[in-house]
Amino acid sequence: MSDVLVSARGLEVHFPVRSVGLRRTGGGVLRAVDGVDLDIHRGETVGLVGESGCGKSTLGNALLRLVPPTGGRITFDGSDVTALDRRGLKEMRRRAGMVFQDPFASLDPRRTVAQTVAEPLEVHKLRSGRRERAARVGELLEMVGLDPAVASRYPHEFSGGQRQRVGIARALAGEPDFLVCDEAIASLDVSVQAQVLNLLRRLQRQLGLTLLFISHDLSAVRHLSDRIAVMYLGRVVEVGPAATVASDPQMPYTQALLSAVPVPHPARERARQRIVLRGDVPSPSAVPSGCRFRTRCPYVFEPCPDVDPALQPAGAPGQLAACHLHGVVGIPVADDTPEGVTTTPTS
Amino acid sequence: MTGQPLPEPAPSPTATDAGIPSTQRAARPRWRETLGLLARNPAAAVSGALLLLIVLVAVFDEALAPTGPNEISVEDRLQPPSLEHPFGTDDLGRDIFSRVILGAAVSLRVGFLAVAVALVIGSLIGLLAGFYGRWVDDVLMRIMDMLFAFPAVLLAIAVLAVRGPGSGNTALAIGIVYIPVFARVTRASVLGVREEVYVRASRSVGASDLRLLTRHVLPNAAPPIIVQTSISLAFAVLAEAALSFLGLGTQPPNPSWGLMLAEGRGFIDIAWWLAFFPGMAIFLTVLCFNLLGDGLRDVLDPRQRTLMAGGAR
Ligand SMILES: Nc1ncnc2c1ncn2[C@@H]1O[C@H](COP(=O)(O)OP(=O)(O)O)[C@@H](O)[C@H]1O
Ligand SMILES: [Mg+2]
Repeated sequence: MSDVLVSARGLEVHFPVRSVGLRRTGGGVLRAVDGVDLDIHRGETVGLVGESGCGKSTLGNALLRLVPPTGGRITFDGSDVTALDRRGLKEMRRRAGMVFQDPFASLDPRRTVAQTVAEPLEVHKLRSGRRERAARVGELLEMVGLDPAVASRYPHEFSGGQRQRVGIARALAGEPDFLVCDEAIASLDVSVQAQVLNLLRRLQRQLGLTLLFISHDLSAVRHLSDRIAVMYLGRVVEVGPAATVASDPQMPYTQALLSAVPVPHPARERARQRIVLRGDVPSPSAVPSGCRFRTRCPYVFEPCPDVDPALQPAGAPGQLAACHLHGVVGIPVADDTPEGVTTTPTS
Repeated sequence: MTGQPLPEPAPSPTATDAGIPSTQRAARPRWRETLGLLARNPAAAVSGALLLLIVLVAVFDEALAPTGPNEISVEDRLQPPSLEHPFGTDDLGRDIFSRVILGAAVSLRVGFLAVAVALVIGSLIGLLAGFYGRWVDDVLMRIMDMLFAFPAVLLAIAVLAVRGPGSGNTALAIGIVYIPVFARVTRASVLGVREEVYVRASRSVGASDLRLLTRHVLPNAAPPIIVQTSISLAFAVLAEAALSFLGLGTQPPNPSWGLMLAEGRGFIDIAWWLAFFPGMAIFLTVLCFNLLGDGLRDVLDPRQRTLMAGGAR
């Protein structure tokens, strides 16, 4: 049994873009996820950060095959997720859960809390009989800090924080190993965010969960995560131990993200240099050639437009960055060479 | 692993989050809440009650009708409304009151049957087309478009021409005409619901398509379908009357409101009651189904629902 629970290799999720007009063909592709390499180890918490629209949710959904990948490979506990049959997929979805961003949209308004939380139990036949299921639902509700008496209520009777707890209880009902939390606290009141965050950390420890914690806010995940992966325009561009990525980023994009975070120390805050990026994020349907960050990078030099950088060791041990400043490694832009030819082996 | 309850004491919800619902009322089943809200809309409530009465009359028609439908009494021909014959008599001396009561059974049976056919087949088609999209949607909805392209009466007449006249075939004919209507309403509603996060959430825990469709998509897509059912019942009763009026629906001497209206038309100058009472019956029933449909539309809209429930508290 390998130490890696979830792994993505060259993962792509491309959406067809319908051109305006009557014809469905002729549109381009939107590269929501475009060649992601990511390993998530058993029991660790990986924080996935990046600006809104960079493909974090799509990546999280693709890992559970809620969005079909258009390329690359995903393995879950050693088995190929893209090749799973119906039964395999069902079992995989028992072992991997998801907590969604908007707790007002993620609960079926016509089903009681009990019905929602019991759904995985019914789907996977985890408890036989009404009594046992009801008991397990009560247990799950207690686990997320809700009174089991609320089981017969409907979602509209609850606050955002409480709804999110119900969503977490549902995600845990199948006794999963892996949980994707997609901006799970982003839409909650600030006062409630810390409570739900603490709940997730407690559950992660107590249940030995492996967590992918998605957030657009680097500062929100640095204390929670063992490792941080930074995403830009559909690609993981830096990954490494949370402490080093957050204190000594090796990729200019991460440096820029970090420089936007205020430091809670007056002298250091004054000394903090803001790296303001040029221009806007390019559209995921028109990804720049070579390094996708080059249109905004302050350090751009000659290999950047020509070679698509691969993740390579940079900075602290275990830290990887996709940047030519650490040596030109990657896939040259197809000119006359066929696409996909690698000059330097990517690790 | 996760099977054991956690040792850490769970904080009570009131202590953790703000905004705990203060009312401790037990959750009522949704349909009872719906009925409660519907009762606050006077037009819908009165319509519902009246429809219930009409349905009861139709069910107990033979017990309620003073005479049989075809009891001819030559000396009582064309009598105006009186105590003995509240709605008068027709040209054969038959009691119109009895025939209106017995006609309720025929008209409503055809209406319900027709809508049942359209609802079951149309909604299933719309559900599959909306949920699966792509070629399933293309194929199914193209067929619906073809069906829809025929003028309704022409299509019904064609069905009756093939299958022969009579109440059962009339119901089938009207039902077929309304299949595309239900398919479209259902599809449109499903298109909105299938993108909901809670559908994806349910998929994420391993729910099958069948489960998604029956537990999440259909219940949440139902309100417009329920409204359409009520409104279509009105149309179906009217359509039955029209087809019977044209001589294609219910056949004499069976009483149906539409047929009675047609038969009474010739006497409109000398005996208005022949056409008036069956006409009123049609008018009232159709109006009630429409008002009930409008009421349901308001009550079943979730936003409207919150407003109404909040205001009433
Ligand atoms: N189902 C879809 N069809 C087409 N485009 C999509 C779809 N889902 C996401 N996208 C696009 O993919 C990109 C990444 O979206 P998303 O993964 O939601 O980003 P993030 O979660 O990082 O904000 C966005 O440009 C978004 O518009
Ligand atoms: Mg997102």
